Amino acid sequence: MADLLIKLEQVKKIYKTGEAEVEVLRNLSLTVPPGEAVAVMGPSGSGKSTLLSIIGGLNLPNEGKVIIDGIDLYCLNRERRADFRREYLGFVFQHFQLIPYLTAVQNTMLPLTTTRYPARKKREMAMQALERVGMERKCNRLPNQLSGGEQERVAIARAIVNAPPLMLADEPTGNLDTTTAQDIMKLFSSLNKSGLTILMVTHNPENTKYMKRTIAMQDGVIVSDTDSLAVVAGNEIEFRESAGELR
Amino acid sequence: MNLYSIAFNNMWRRKSRILFNVTVLLVSTAITVTLFLVVDSMRLTLGDQIDEFGSNLVIVPQAEGMEISYGGTEVANTAIDLDQLSEADLEKISTIPDYRSINIVSPKIVAAVNVNDVGIIMVGVEPRREFMMKPWFTLSEQEGIEPGLNPGDLALLDLPEKGLIVGSDAARVLNLKAGDLVDVNGSTFQVAGILNRLGSVEDGLLIGKLSTVQGLLNRPGEISMIEISAYCNECPVEELAAQLTEALPNGRVTALRQAALLREETIDRFSLFSFLLTGVILVVAMLLVLTSMMGSIHERTREIGIFRAIGFRGSHVMQIILLEAGVAGLLGGIAGYLSGHLIARNFGSYLSGESIELAWQTDLFLPVLIFSTTVALLAAIYPAYRASKLDPVEALRFI
Repeated sequence: MADLLIKLEQVKKIYKTGEAEVEVLRNLSLTVPPGEAVAVMGPSGSGKSTLLSIIGGLNLPNEGKVIIDGIDLYCLNRERRADFRREYLGFVFQHFQLIPYLTAVQNTMLPLTTTRYPARKKREMAMQALERVGMERKCNRLPNQLSGGEQERVAIARAIVNAPPLMLADEPTGNLDTTTAQDIMKLFSSLNKSGLTILMVTHNPENTKYMKRTIAMQDGVIVSDTDSLAVVAGNEIEFRESAGELR
Repeated sequence: MNLYSIAFNNMWRRKSRILFNVTVLLVSTAITVTLFLVVDSMRLTLGDQIDEFGSNLVIVPQAEGMEISYGGTEVANTAIDLDQLSEADLEKISTIPDYRSINIVSPKIVAAVNVNDVGIIMVGVEPRREFMMKPWFTLSEQEGIEPGLNPGDLALLDLPEKGLIVGSDAARVLNLKAGDLVDVNGSTFQVAGILNRLGSVEDGLLIGKLSTVQGLLNRPGEISMIEISAYCNECPVEELAAQLTEALPNGRVTALRQAALLREETIDRFSLFSFLLTGVILVVAMLLVLTSMMGSIHERTREIGIFRAIGFRGSHVMQIILLEAGVAGLLGGIAGYLSGHLIARNFGSYLSGESIELAWQTDLFLPVLIFSTTVALLAAIYPAYRASKLDPVEALRFI
């Protein structure tokens, strides 16, 4: 693995709405070494989700380079980027985003669908992932038979089933109550300790204490890049101010 | 977990949509199968009808004067004929370019004779040729065979020089039975057999050997008409008629296929109408399946976005959509094949306007499945392409 798992160089992203152009990311540079756990915070429209989609190979930047584990992501064509996502990335979406007609174990197996593993191996890998998130007992339930926290766990299992080096999470606790959200963040922390690099977009400062590093964004630029402990240990107000009031 | 299980799980979840697509394909396939079966059956029936005509070309002399009708054909009277046909003309027939299309040539002489003061038409024929050409001629009685036993095959009968085959009406009027002796124009003949009733002009005829009748009438070598049977499904009858007219300038050649051609033309028109109707139905079916699939893609935007985000290639998404369409096509094809046969068997006669019999055409099963599946796949190509090109960011924004 490369020294830097994520390396963004002068990334610019502009959205065009009719005649108007909105610069969502402004020459943004960022490096994340392997094993890091990064929380990305910022107000709505600050460019957090765009940053996540660009790192995830879903959104072509107008300028700059995105290098993941030494691979220049946007030098790959569309289909190769899909292969890249399957091998290198795990996604945890807002609102869980499980496929409603597939059971928990089938949802977990989804990233393995197009791999050449035998069916039994795929199921074994899915069951192991479900065990890691404590959902093995409910593996045959459909999403609508699971609570929000359980659905989130299945979504996390799906993200880690193919043992990717990097997990991208977009507001993973946005729809959960405080207790469940804490459980999920503990799970994130545990996964990070086992070597998984995590980049998480969140609105909740409480979540940052489970991450090693917190980045604040505003108007498409990083306004703060801090050790998360510092945020939690008393500089929260200063951090919040620099982030331009996050809520 | 593979693409098949995703497709099947989705179909199971969206049963009403798959049911709609299957129904559309079922209806279109069933109509196509029905029309195909009915047209096919009509063509077979037509072929049988043409075969049953026996001869499809008749040559009579270019003549003027009083005429005798035989089998719907006017046969000139010898007394005032201008230009007679003769046995020498038979050889000319073999010189025409398409002679190989000719199956049987049956010359005959026809004239009115007197039997016990009753005027009756007598026909002299080459028995083998005549009776092979008209296999529906059967005997009710045969000389030498006891009543109640089955008479032999007419085509195999060795008719004696002074033997006669008598039509059923003539036998009744003249009170003749097989084995009876009868005086014809002063010459004695023996009845070799009585024909079963045909419901046609042959019921009133006396049939003898050509050479004998020529001798009886004192017209050696003369021929009143020549009936020709050609292989209808291959031969261009009009072309044959033209060639015969050229070879026999003293003869008037008539193709008896006009009625069959008229019928064939009707079938061709029905075929064309069926073809166009099937085409319209297929286009409508494809549009319906396409619209349904597009609706399905729209409903599944979020899902497709997730698939793409977690590493499905565009081709994988396309495969899922096409797989679903293919399954609908197969189910529609099976149901359409069965329904098409049932409709054709029950309403085929009503559609064709004639009595037709339809057997299950098992060799049609695979082509129908391929046809239905192809229609479904063609209809699904565009939706599948659209789905595969769906921008994951847009799809996730849909979330």
